[in-house]
Amino acid sequence: MTVDEQLVMHMMEPKNYGHMESADAFGFGKNPENGEKVVIYLRIGKDEDEPYIQDIKFQAIGCTTTVVAGSMLTEEAKGLNLEGAKNLVNATLQLLDKLPPEDAACSEMVALAIAAAVETYEKRVDEPDYPAITYKIKSTCTPKEEADESSND
Amino acid sequence: MKAVMIKVHEVWLETLMAGFMSHTHNKQTLFDFADIMFRHFTWIEDLLIKSGEEYSYDRDNVPIKVENLKVLLKDIDTRLSDIDLQLMSLEDKALASRIASDIKYIRQVLDKMHDETITAFNMHRVMEGYSLSKEATDALTLFLFEESYKEYELIMIYNYLKAHSQDAYMNRIFQILIDESMFHLKCFGDMQAKMGILATPRVVMRELYQVTDIVKFLKDGIDEEILAKEECKRLAEAVAKDNEDLAHFFDFINNQENYHIALMEDALNHYQEVNKVE
Repeated sequence: MTVDEQLVMHMMEPKNYGHMESADAFGFGKNPENGEKVVIYLRIGKDEDEPYIQDIKFQAIGCTTTVVAGSMLTEEAKGLNLEGAKNLVNATLQLLDKLPPEDAACSEMVALAIAAAVETYEKRVDEPDYPAITYKIKSTCTPKEEADESSND
Repeated sequence: MKAVMIKVHEVWLETLMAGFMSHTHNKQTLFDFADIMFRHFTWIEDLLIKSGEEYSYDRDNVPIKVENLKVLLKDIDTRLSDIDLQLMSLEDKALASRIASDIKYIRQVLDKMHDETITAFNMHRVMEGYSLSKEATDALTLFLFEESYKEYELIMIYNYLKAHSQDAYMNRIFQILIDESMFHLKCFGDMQAKMGILATPRVVMRELYQVTDIVKFLKDGIDEEILAKEECKRLAEAVAKDNEDLAHFFDFINNQENYHIALMEDALNHYQEVNKVE
């Protein structure tokens, strides 16, 4: 990761980090490779009957890059309606192959956690006890050279 | 009682951070007070366990970004005053009285502490006397954020395990691991402050310290320590060409991980033997 001032600010004061009591929905993004995960909590507001993300929080078992990705993406998601949040997730997923593997895995984990939380909310509209959805990432955290080396072992 | 524990947790961290920020002899006093507050935290946790009350290590974020130390000291004083008022909710009146006595003295000393200009948040990412390339600075920055959080996380995990264990052998090991992580956290926090990138560690997720499978936790922990050694080695190599002293420091930290591995292996063997588990 190339570290610039904006990234350092997200590291020093991650936006929206923490647990949310009585969230309307939450969802998980997981890395099955190493057990890292992100949980996204949503509080949904209504704007003329249209639901939107009034508040969003996240917590992570993961590295600093995951926290930076969580800080940035949750800031972008705040205030979006649910369609807007899904567009944000898709846009992020489409950018993954332009990122270094470890950054891609972290961003994917956060994006999928947002998708999981939004979809959990949608399910809970009809079924209030619907369990929190979990999505697993497809990217690998391991840089290509290391992955090649281990596959040669 | 739970609320008091949360407040003590927050003021412990704030005082520790104040210690990192200080450039003068205030530093050691603040570190000593932070250590005392951490012990208050463990005393109150013990009461909660005895009373059967459920609790977690959740807390609010602790804002620490100030330009002058006095501002933070005033905030610590306000927090201590709040805690003092809430001590009456503790059932153990003798403990409440002991903590109140400490608080009284700490507030007197904080009040007389001289002010300092704070540079711990200027984001210059330069350590006086050290000249590092952009690549080495970036590697060091990431390492310090990663590892300062990790050390805090480990302190909380080992503390929770220790609080819930009656096994003196295991508790001796957990206490050494807490002490080691405290030392590392102090080293890394000091470096963050010098580089102008000091930050309070984020809240630890409950499932990390509310360990249900100790054997798995210890085995994973040993693997993680081995990875941490690699990380230190990589960082030592990254900074070696720019600064030999820093490279030596990270070699030292790398070799310290050997203690952690040995302690965790010892804990694993003991636990498996006593509990007849694989």
